[in-house]
Amino acid sequence: MHGLFRWSSKWWPGVIPLAVFWAIAAWSNTAPLESDLAERSTAALKDSVLDKTRIEVAGRDVTFAADAFSEDGRHSAVASVEAVPGVRLVNDETRLVPEAKPFVWSAERDVVRVTLGGSSPLPASKGKLMEAARASLGGVEVVDQMNLSRGAPPRFDNAALLLLDQVGKLKDGKITLSDTKVSLSGMARDLGGREAIAAALKNLPEGFSVADNAIKAPPYIFQAYKDPVAVTVTLTGYVPDNNVHAAVATAATRKFFSEKVVDNLKASVGAPTGFANAVVPALGALSRLSTGTLVVSDREVKLSGDAFYDAAAGQIRAALAKDFPKDWQLKADISVKPAAAPVDATVCQQLFTDLLAKGKIRFESGRATIDPDSAGLLDRLIETALRCPNTNIEIAGHTDGDGEDAFNQALSEKRAQAVMDYLVKAGLPVDRFTAVGYGSTQPIAGNDTDEGKAQNRRIDFVVKE
Amino acid sequence: MAYLVTFQWGWLLASLLLGLAMGWIAVVHRGQGVSKVTARWLSVLVAGLIAAALAHVVPGRPGYWLDLGLVMFALYLAGCTVGSWLRDWVLSRHAPAA
Repeated sequence: MHGLFRWSSKWWPGVIPLAVFWAIAAWSNTAPLESDLAERSTAALKDSVLDKTRIEVAGRDVTFAADAFSEDGRHSAVASVEAVPGVRLVNDETRLVPEAKPFVWSAERDVVRVTLGGSSPLPASKGKLMEAARASLGGVEVVDQMNLSRGAPPRFDNAALLLLDQVGKLKDGKITLSDTKVSLSGMARDLGGREAIAAALKNLPEGFSVADNAIKAPPYIFQAYKDPVAVTVTLTGYVPDNNVHAAVATAATRKFFSEKVVDNLKASVGAPTGFANAVVPALGALSRLSTGTLVVSDREVKLSGDAFYDAAAGQIRAALAKDFPKDWQLKADISVKPAAAPVDATVCQQLFTDLLAKGKIRFESGRATIDPDSAGLLDRLIETALRCPNTNIEIAGHTDGDGEDAFNQALSEKRAQAVMDYLVKAGLPVDRFTAVGYGSTQPIAGNDTDEGKAQNRRIDFVVKE
Repeated sequence: MAYLVTFQWGWLLASLLLGLAMGWIAVVHRGQGVSKVTARWLSVLVAGLIAAALAHVVPGRPGYWLDLGLVMFALYLAGCTVGSWLRDWVLSRHAPAA
């Protein structure tokens, strides 16, 4: 043992190469050691939920900065770095993610992109929202401008995912979630989009509510164009459902007695209330024009065209004013068609026969009240009567063979008289017309079929020199 | 420590071998040794350095270099001890024969 002390006094020369070794080891191995420790520390944090993680290693000391989402998460993250073998000290620069109050999240859509902004509670929910946005918006570019914050309301993810779905239904606009209040603004992509969004918002998770829904829908358009050259009525645009579609199509067929109805209507939700009540009378008014256009845009109805004669223009306006729903706006721009050239009695008779072959003056069943759907036909008859002012005209009423002769006789007389009254009211001189009823005495078809009976129920115009 | 050994085992082994060699030589070396006073001061210095390393007062890279230096030095001393003891043992076995 004594020798060891003696010998040890002579060990010092070896310290010189030892110092050289030490210097070389320190010089060559410091950087690899640091990067190895950084790698191990990063791996140790793999399962921790952190944002803005930064790890710097100097020697064996780790400077660890990160934003954590809870106090527990912060402590356990620091502990897992401290537990990495080889780490000597951890400089803890972690902090909690700032709390957002109110917690605001938003999704904004413009022409080319969707921007997600505001706050998101965790990196996982941020990723989920981005993924959902890409999936539900197809090829639209999605821009992430979300920050991470604490203080999200419970069930935030579900609410935000539901709102993201609604962004897909917008053409442009913004949906904002502020704590638990949802505000929406912008324009729906399709007709009915507004209603679809409103319906979807009813499924918001418990605790969330809609503070303001200012989504607008594109205008609900219905158009009808009466073309006198092609002799067609073209219906385009939208109707609320198949029932209204059928009702509109039937009304058009009845009112436009000579024109072919081209039906290009599509059913869509989002119609203003009272749609059918406004469109059917407006179609009636259009049927009384020689040429005209009807445009219904939301609750605004624009009717323009030419009436057959002066009094008709006034009648059309008055009838529309009476029949129209109150909260609808009507713009009727009705001029009068220039009077057609006068014709002689033969041509006049021919014109009457042609018109009455295309359509019939309709009455309420068993009564002498003229069906309003015949207004278009009557206008054409009046116009024709105006073209041969020097003729006298017999208005002849006929019935089918059903029922008592006396009743049929009386009905045919009353119906002929009703037509004559209509013509006189339109401004034609009363002395040009005589109303005659023939009952069922002059059938033009057999009374044994419904079709034959329908042909026999008629009003004829007979021109007398 | 275990990490340092696994990461720097080459240099640590080199220190140990250097210590063995030095210890081997020191037994028959005729040169000037370190005086007792100097040895005491050196011991105090090393003790101070060990205290500094254990207390983690030297930060960052210098702290790591200090740890590394001390471990290499410790292995060097261990090598010297074993080397000297071996040489002495070998000499004492041969002496009676001579």
